[in-house]
Amino acid sequence: MTATTGAAPSAQPERPGRSDGVCSEFTVFTKIKPGHADALREDLVALADAAASENVHAAVRQIGTLHDARHVIFDNDTRFMFASVFDGSWDTYIDDFAQTVVGARFDKVFSHSEGFPGVTDPGVKDWFVAQQEPAEVFVSAYPDLTVQQIYKDHRVEEAFEAVLDTAEFRAALDNPANAELLATPAFQKLLEEAAA
Amino acid sequence: MNTVASGSAAGMGVEIDDVQSGALRPRPVPYEGKFIFLRVDDRHAGRALLRRLLPVTAGGLPSVDRSQDAWVAVAFTYQGLRALGVPQESLDSFPRAFREGMAARAELIGDVGESAPAHWEAPFGTGDVHIALSALSSDAAQLDKELERARVAYEDTPGVQVIWQQEVRQLPTGRTTFGFRDGISHPNIEGVGLPGSNPQEAPIKAGEFILGYPDETGSLPPMPSPDVLGRNGTYAAVRKIHTNVAAWRQYLRAHTSTAQEEALLAAKLVGRWPSGAPLTLTPEHDDPELAADPHRNNNFLYRENDDRGFRCPAGAHIRRTNPRDSTIIGDARMHRLIRRGTTYGPPLPEGVLEDDGADRGLVGVFLGAHLERQFEFIKAEWVNDGNFIGYPGEQDPVAGHHGGTGSVTIPEKPVRRRLRNLPSFVVTRGGEYCFVPGLRALRWLAELQD
Repeated sequence: MTATTGAAPSAQPERPGRSDGVCSEFTVFTKIKPGHADALREDLVALADAAASENVHAAVRQIGTLHDARHVIFDNDTRFMFASVFDGSWDTYIDDFAQTVVGARFDKVFSHSEGFPGVTDPGVKDWFVAQQEPAEVFVSAYPDLTVQQIYKDHRVEEAFEAVLDTAEFRAALDNPANAELLATPAFQKLLEEAAA
Repeated sequence: MNTVASGSAAGMGVEIDDVQSGALRPRPVPYEGKFIFLRVDDRHAGRALLRRLLPVTAGGLPSVDRSQDAWVAVAFTYQGLRALGVPQESLDSFPRAFREGMAARAELIGDVGESAPAHWEAPFGTGDVHIALSALSSDAAQLDKELERARVAYEDTPGVQVIWQQEVRQLPTGRTTFGFRDGISHPNIEGVGLPGSNPQEAPIKAGEFILGYPDETGSLPPMPSPDVLGRNGTYAAVRKIHTNVAAWRQYLRAHTSTAQEEALLAAKLVGRWPSGAPLTLTPEHDDPELAADPHRNNNFLYRENDDRGFRCPAGAHIRRTNPRDSTIIGDARMHRLIRRGTTYGPPLPEGVLEDDGADRGLVGVFLGAHLERQFEFIKAEWVNDGNFIGYPGEQDPVAGHHGGTGSVTIPEKPVRRRLRNLPSFVVTRGGEYCFVPGLRALRWLAELQD
């Protein structure tokens, strides 16, 4: 038995950013409240403060889907741009991060923009979408890799390099008992990476 | 109107007697039940039906009187509210996912391929499902009594048609068609007077499950207008899921060499043993005694003793759909659900590996105040992907739509096990998003004029 669906598929126009593979761009342009540019700049400086660098990166790691983000004040201190790249859609985890220190930072920075309802406001997604301008072109050098995959790849690579530096590994390669393992295509690929 | 204070936290009292029993009450054990879909061809007839259903529809928590242990619940699709003549302004105030309906969200929630709405069983997804009735009881005679009261209501109402019926009942084994006990885990909701099944779970704000109360964000959940319609209501994603039990058994058999290994692999994919005993508490073997103890069988978290998933894999079904305190992207408390699975169809006899062609599976009801942040998020992020646990692209081994190309990672020392070429073990036969109004709201609907 087959159903004909009465409803049209959801085209999700509420997510206008462009994507490339697993990631998508999210760019918003807002109007800075009159007289707030310096306060915004101070908040951004505090965010980027070298002393806070560890916190900043901890916060970004906590998000787990954010590749990069930039905050720009332009147009003679009248406008503000937030440009970022997320795995999936920028809004998937916005409710989750509104609950965290990351959400609090976001809240502070955007509080200088006209009309911002607050990051925990049920209407915040709609507000962001209203300020969003989709990119004409968005391209990633690694469209198949999520932030999580990149972290994992990096951990594995570091561990692999450390193994290469052990005398025991060299000895194991020379040991005839391991010839069978060395001959497998999978291990050959590993040795290709090990060779240079 | 009684309000109850939560036993575990000073929360805001919930008008529990106005909330439909079908929204909050855990499924009885054993259980029998029936789902009935109705189409409203005439709004006046629809309202007349609601007036007849009002005295039949149960509110509040179970009474101690076991003879009352049966309840009928009434829910509405967006098309149903339209058919009843709910004003446009009010219809527009419902969340987008509900207005569009589940079929329109198929891509987002992963109902694709053989599970796509084009292949659904009628009347799912056609726009004809207007009212969904469900009746559940621990006792066949009780169920029949309740159903009879409901039947009198709709059979006496021309202009309202029964278009689909589905009986559900617990299998003699007390297990699902896959052979596992379910219905174990219930969230600990603040201010409802119904203890959750995990003593270690901090109470979840009532607004995650019932409209009109603050939720985990500290705000009131968006609520449809007028207030009388939204208050004490909730949303239900109702799905009929066919289970390929033979495929499940064949896959387990093909990837193990002993009965013991087979049982362990099945448990690793589910996260519990067939008895319901959780792997995190008993990683090596089933423990029916632990499973039978309601104080212990859900009394666990993951982070302290099993964060990497050597006992219960991070990708196991029960851990994906309820990660508890696991290390994941995001905040699990924002995505809690009340789940109620009920079995339909005959069991595939023990030991049979060939498909007998019978239709069997479950009717799943997933309840919460936020369709998009709860049900849809869980489907998109936790069931149909694995990025949140560090396995991008891997799906839920049991509930995912693998189409023969799925993979599952089982952490093991020294080297994880990775199974490939998973077939789909489930097929979506259909689904609808429903609004489950409070009793006053039901009366408001019944008394609509024009």
